[in-house]
Amino acid sequence: MNGERDPEPSSGSRSQPSETSSPQVLLEVVDLSKSFGPVQAVQGLSLDVRAGEIHAVCGHNGAGKSTLVKTLVGLVRPDEGTIRFRGEELSLRNPLDAQGHGIALVNQELSLVPELSVEDNIYLGGLDVPLVYRQRRLSERARAVLDQLGLRHVQLGTAVETLSIGERQLVEIARLLVRDARLLILDEPTATLSKPEIERVFRATRDLVAEGRSVIFVSHRLDEVFELCDRVTVLRDGRRVGTHEIHEIDRRALIELMLGEMEGARAMVQHEHTLPGSGEPLVKIEGLTVPGSIEDVSLVLESGLITGLAGQVGSGTSTILRALGGLVPGVSGTVCVRGRAVPLKTPRRAVEAGVLYIPNDRQREGLFLGQTVERNLVVARLRRLSRLGVLLRRRAHRAARQLAGMAGVPVERLGSPAGSLSGGNQQKVLLGRALELEGTALLALDEPTRGVDVGGRADIHDLIRAAARRGTAVIFSSTELDEVLDLADVVVTIFHGRIVSIVPRDDATASAILADMTTSHTTGTAAAAT
Amino acid sequence: MSARESTRRRRVDATGLAPYAILALMVAALALVPVLTEYTVRTANVYDIFQNFASYGLVALALGITIIAGEFDLSVSSMYLLGGMVAVLTGDGSPTVGILVALGTAVIVGVAQGGLIAGFRLNSMPVTLGGYLVVLGTTYILGHGKSVIYEDYNVGLRLDKPILQIFSIRSLIAIGIFAVTIVALRYLRVGRDIRAIGGDRRAARVAGVSVDRLLVGVFVMSALGAALAGALLSYSLATASPTNIGVDVLTFSATAALLGGVRLSGGKGGAIGIAAGVLSLSVLQEILAILRSPDYVSSLITGGLLVAVTIVWAPELSQWFRTTRVATSLEKDRTPA
Amino acid sequence: MIARVGVERRPLGIADYALAAWIAILAAVTVYGAATTEGFLTVSNMKAILTAASFVGIIAVGLTVIVLSGSLFSLALGQTAAVSAMFFLYSVRWGLGAAIILTLLLGLAIGAVQGFAVGAWGANPIIITIGAAGLLEGMAVWLSHGQSIVPPDNRTSWEHLANPVLGLPAPVYVFIAVSILLGLVMRRTRFGRQIYLLGENRVAARAAALPITLLTVGAFGIASLYTAGSGILIGATSANASLLLVGSYTYDAIAAALVGGNAVTGGRGSIARTALGAIFIATISDMLLLRGYSTGGQILVRGIIVVVVVVLTNLRERNR
Repeated sequence: MNGERDPEPSSGSRSQPSETSSPQVLLEVVDLSKSFGPVQAVQGLSLDVRAGEIHAVCGHNGAGKSTLVKTLVGLVRPDEGTIRFRGEELSLRNPLDAQGHGIALVNQELSLVPELSVEDNIYLGGLDVPLVYRQRRLSERARAVLDQLGLRHVQLGTAVETLSIGERQLVEIARLLVRDARLLILDEPTATLSKPEIERVFRATRDLVAEGRSVIFVSHRLDEVFELCDRVTVLRDGRRVGTHEIHEIDRRALIELMLGEMEGARAMVQHEHTLPGSGEPLVKIEGLTVPGSIEDVSLVLESGLITGLAGQVGSGTSTILRALGGLVPGVSGTVCVRGRAVPLKTPRRAVEAGVLYIPNDRQREGLFLGQTVERNLVVARLRRLSRLGVLLRRRAHRAARQLAGMAGVPVERLGSPAGSLSGGNQQKVLLGRALELEGTALLALDEPTRGVDVGGRADIHDLIRAAARRGTAVIFSSTELDEVLDLADVVVTIFHGRIVSIVPRDDATASAILADMTTSHTTGTAAAAT
Repeated sequence: MSARESTRRRRVDATGLAPYAILALMVAALALVPVLTEYTVRTANVYDIFQNFASYGLVALALGITIIAGEFDLSVSSMYLLGGMVAVLTGDGSPTVGILVALGTAVIVGVAQGGLIAGFRLNSMPVTLGGYLVVLGTTYILGHGKSVIYEDYNVGLRLDKPILQIFSIRSLIAIGIFAVTIVALRYLRVGRDIRAIGGDRRAARVAGVSVDRLLVGVFVMSALGAALAGALLSYSLATASPTNIGVDVLTFSATAALLGGVRLSGGKGGAIGIAAGVLSLSVLQEILAILRSPDYVSSLITGGLLVAVTIVWAPELSQWFRTTRVATSLEKDRTPA
Repeated sequence: MIARVGVERRPLGIADYALAAWIAILAAVTVYGAATTEGFLTVSNMKAILTAASFVGIIAVGLTVIVLSGSLFSLALGQTAAVSAMFFLYSVRWGLGAAIILTLLLGLAIGAVQGFAVGAWGANPIIITIGAAGLLEGMAVWLSHGQSIVPPDNRTSWEHLANPVLGLPAPVYVFIAVSILLGLVMRRTRFGRQIYLLGENRVAARAAALPITLLTVGAFGIASLYTAGSGILIGATSANASLLLVGSYTYDAIAAALVGGNAVTGGRGSIARTALGAIFIATISDMLLLRGYSTGGQILVRGIIVVVVVVLTNLRERNR
């Protein structure tokens, strides 16, 4: 485990905070509050962003970052509080409205049309684009902006689909600059970028800020925060717990601010992690690689053991699990289940080999929302529940009741469409369908409690433990530290597509895990054995 | 530029040339005809080709635009007939009036279909299927279930009189409209936006494109194209018929558009390509006419081409090859889907 | 026999009221029409309606499997029916049984090939079927040399298929029987269940390792098989088959499936709905015919009904 790194200014980073006597405030958020139903996402949140600064916003999952961002760009209306931008109080209706005022967001979901050229995308949807939309003055302006962003080598006429993700991100930023954005919010911009691309984004960001614009940098990549930003605000549980000049704080303190009381409290709650696990390696994963996504992932998964993949969004945890489930066509590497090699080509092969993958986007890829809960529960075992092709409906119904009972889904909802259930219950249905299936060697669960409240989460964790006790190997991914620490017997941290560390639960500490999830290491992949 | 990116770029360039390659092939085939038979290819044949272009080209353009926008207008084949019927019925005194009324009808149909599709976020196929029936029924009703004769057959003669031996007013109108569309799609903002809503509708909406208005516009354009083509053809034949004569308009248009590089997934394709596609099919039909092939050969070939092109552009084809290991050495440089 | 896909527990929205109003309007119009149209409420007219509904209905219920599986619809069914009729009348010379089996197999094969392209390669189903229709037409004219096919003089066994049994033409019985059969298949078999799931959410079906290619081949195969069956009956009834038979079967079948309330995007609906849709359309067409409406009027009305139902069904789906 690496120790803390002191935030020394490395080459190219900003060395001095802006030293104006009274820094001009560009954005002022005062007492922002927003709740979604019973969940209080943000509470009494106040912060300010100065002109010409790069301001980091950090916080663990659920801290309120995304709600803050959505409020700033008009995707969400706050319940209380005010937003003042350039002195003017704003009431934003939608992101286009926000852009009109000069606030713009760049996040994972880019809004570029791949088939169109770079220049066309830059001016797409803009308000003052003339009828004959390709004009010299516009092209020149686009060219200047692209050059400024370090995209000198990108021709205006090339189709966006030929660009890398990093280049596309900069094109999106170019669009926003052309719309004269004064405050750019970059939401996890580097999650899927390569090192040189990250450098490019940083350079571009510094140049922008030198002109007097400001950037809010939302990220969990702490070393990047230290390299790039002037100040950092930490959110926790919907509130701001601190704002510091970068040179006034170090990584350990930052992590502690993000975790809060968690470290201490977590240590107390123990579940039985010492399972009588047979110790028998059930699944051997070797050299799993997807170009651009994950690299050389090797793991041994034992029967009865729960392995937790701890990694943030974009780190590759989901790709690893999807590859196991046969859903990633470009994967290379080998997976052996019970000694036999499994071709990773299609989901059918994976299921035949005993690997059950449960997707993380339950609404889009997991459940059949319009079909009944019962049908969703039995979807994986239709063959077993039919004879000569005919469904044995009573048997299916009994199986559904049994699974519902095990999964904690209210039996009276069996006949309702799955889409009518609450998020937590939906997740239970999704998990329930993978339970007690004969021949299952490995359960691969992609964010098993995403969007589920505390109570539901505890239930689901019990379910998973029960499955493990029956001898199945379990591997799951989560972006939430406490879930990983709560559920996993073995913690595998993933950063940027590679394994950073593999640690038995009892030896793991929250701060070390979070450090591994958020920092790049030069040590490469860890050894495969557990 | 990484190796992966340059491969991607090369692949994109190659497919863009396909429509012209196909056209070249067809023209080459036409050139071969005198070699293989006793027939000499004359200017009359070229005239025929352009006449064919005039008859069907605008419909292919109409359909093609809806596909580029990410939709599909199944009603073009009956709008074609309705255009002809309305033009003949109202064009007694003046053919121009007939055409204007036909175009007016097209606007109504286009607004109705486009409005429903945009307003209710409906899949365009079932809506335009219903539209197809409504328009077809209207055509029947207007003609009392029969073909209607257009008295002034001089109009047709004038429309089809050879100009410079190979063109006619009808084909020049079609070529003209294609030219205007080519310019509009390439240089006007609306062209870029149409490709945007077909390429990635969500992204276009987020970027600020007024998707709904565009959709209505696209369906209006589609109806106009089909109606104009039908009206001119009816004047040329001096008859409006409620049933399709000759090759199936929908098959022809879809094949021409796809051969012309329009992608079913949307966002790709242009009017020049569609023109090339229509010309290719027109040359093909002329070859078949010279060889005195029976009609069914044309159906066979057009249908076969359509199936072939759809399979070649099928989204999961390369993935299927990969998972079933049918093509082994071809897989090596493929980028992940 | 209205299949229910789960009991819905959600507050009624405006779409439900709209749909209910639409059904009420339809019922009212039907009753009004029945009462005021001369010659409607007679036994012979009812028979006529059922007969007309049967030919389209057999095709439509087969098509429903395609619709339910999420592949929208097929535009090749009219041509498939015509080709099947032609092939049947031609192959009667080898015996009635052989003719029926061979024709059905032909239909199955025609459909399976299309289904493979759609299922394995993700080809656009509408375009593939448009192309297939063209190919079928071409082949049909080629092989028949442009002539209609008539059964050989020395064989008359096929006439049984056209003769009425107990007063009703054979096609009516076939329609009812095959509808019930297919309805059972869709509700009671693994295949049927998987088709619903596939149509509901193709992405989730892939993640759940459902055999997508097989299911799609099956869906198109069944649709084509049923169409071939209808073609056999049509051929036997007309004693004469050519491409003229294509008529409006394609669009009528699609209209029947949509009007019955099957979601065009898949996953919701049933065979029974389509059967009712076919009967409803036949009823309206009959009423219009009796009242002197022209072909055009009938087509027009059908088109309007399709559009309205598509809008209403879609609204209802989005409310979920």
